Amino acid sequence: MIDPRAEIEDLIARVAMGDRAAFRALYERTSAKLFGICLRVLDDRAMAEEALQDVFCKIWARAGQYRVNGFSPMTWLITLARNAAVDRRRKRDAQERRKAAPIEAADLLADPAPGPAQQMQARSEAGLLHGCIAELPPERAEMVRRAYLEGASYAELSDATGVKLNTVRTWLRRSLMQLRECLSR
Amino acid sequence: MSGAEDTDLPGGWDASAAEYVLGLLEGDERAAFEQRLAHDRDLRQDVEAWEDYFCSFTDAIEPVDAPPQVLRRAELELFGRDRNPFWSSLLPYLLGAVAAAAIAWMAMFSGLIGRSDAPHLWADLDTPSRGIELLAHYSPDSGTFMVRWDAGDYPEGRSLEVWMIADADAAPVSIGLVDRGGGLTEIPVSGNLAEQLYGGAAVAISEEAEGGSPSGAPEGPVLSLGSMAPREGQ
Repeated sequence: MIDPRAEIEDLIARVAMGDRAAFRALYERTSAKLFGICLRVLDDRAMAEEALQDVFCKIWARAGQYRVNGFSPMTWLITLARNAAVDRRRKRDAQERRKAAPIEAADLLADPAPGPAQQMQARSEAGLLHGCIAELPPERAEMVRRAYLEGASYAELSDATGVKLNTVRTWLRRSLMQLRECLSR
Repeated sequence: MSGAEDTDLPGGWDASAAEYVLGLLEGDERAAFEQRLAHDRDLRQDVEAWEDYFCSFTDAIEPVDAPPQVLRRAELELFGRDRNPFWSSLLPYLLGAVAAAAIAWMAMFSGLIGRSDAPHLWADLDTPSRGIELLAHYSPDSGTFMVRWDAGDYPEGRSLEVWMIADADAAPVSIGLVDRGGGLTEIPVSGNLAEQLYGGAAVAISEEAEGGSPSGAPEGPVLSLGSMAPREGQ
């Protein structure tokens, strides 16, 4: 069996050389995951399709800049997809003046004992980050999650929590350092 | 320009790297960060590490099959300019019709190219409206692409050019000109081109200026289109 990671690295290298068949193979191999991410960020099928198209155009243009750096090539692809989707979401939210849903610690603490479904999810997400995120106060973990998956800005996080922007930022940077410390343990 | 690290905010450049990955740095701070990122390898590694950590937020996101038109649109956006419009209108019909057959024998014969037991390939390239009947034939023994003139008149002052189209998104590649005066045209072809013929490529005949299309891409009307395939008993 071919190592899937080596396979994707090989496809990216061939795309960098202008290989259209490799481009198509990379699309077939990775588009479903990347589309899932675009859908999750944008929650709108038509916009997610546009974002995905954008992602693959960027992959074609930037494949030459990809370098094998010890991280999975999926990290590179997922980061491109997340950023493309978040850019679109921010533009849309600004145009439609959408308000972020409030973040309240009480909501997040409402169910301290995870049900079987949540336990299952926790196991399937048994990555390092999830363990460390769980060590943060829940409303701060939620802020980090929203910034990544919804592209929330400090101004939006401040609105959502009802806490002054500078205070939110101080909290979040402390939380990021706490994460960093936990991740390097 | 001042970054967060010049203020009393906690975390220094490392926290800024995480903020940058989350998209929380704006304006001057972002510009200052990117300026430093351009020549600071350690900072680059911090950014990559944070990208990798935060990717875990997508672990639980289920893959969803993307509709095929997304790939089509991306390919059109990227490669659209070197496509020739009239081919694209004909090819989906042709390639769709032959795809199943092509895949079946492609699987059987891949790896046989260049070997003596590779099958010969054939295609009828008829143009009923002009009474032209041509038979295209690829012989793996000699690596020759042949066109046999069976019926019809060669157009005056024009040349007939043979093209190969690897798939619906590929630009047509000229194989050569059909000789005037009937009989058999023999064109030696490269192994690479032969491989694509075995991969189910389409072949087409177009009418071009005398001596062939000056641009290297088909410009005149397409007279016929077919797909090369082995034939039983031949």
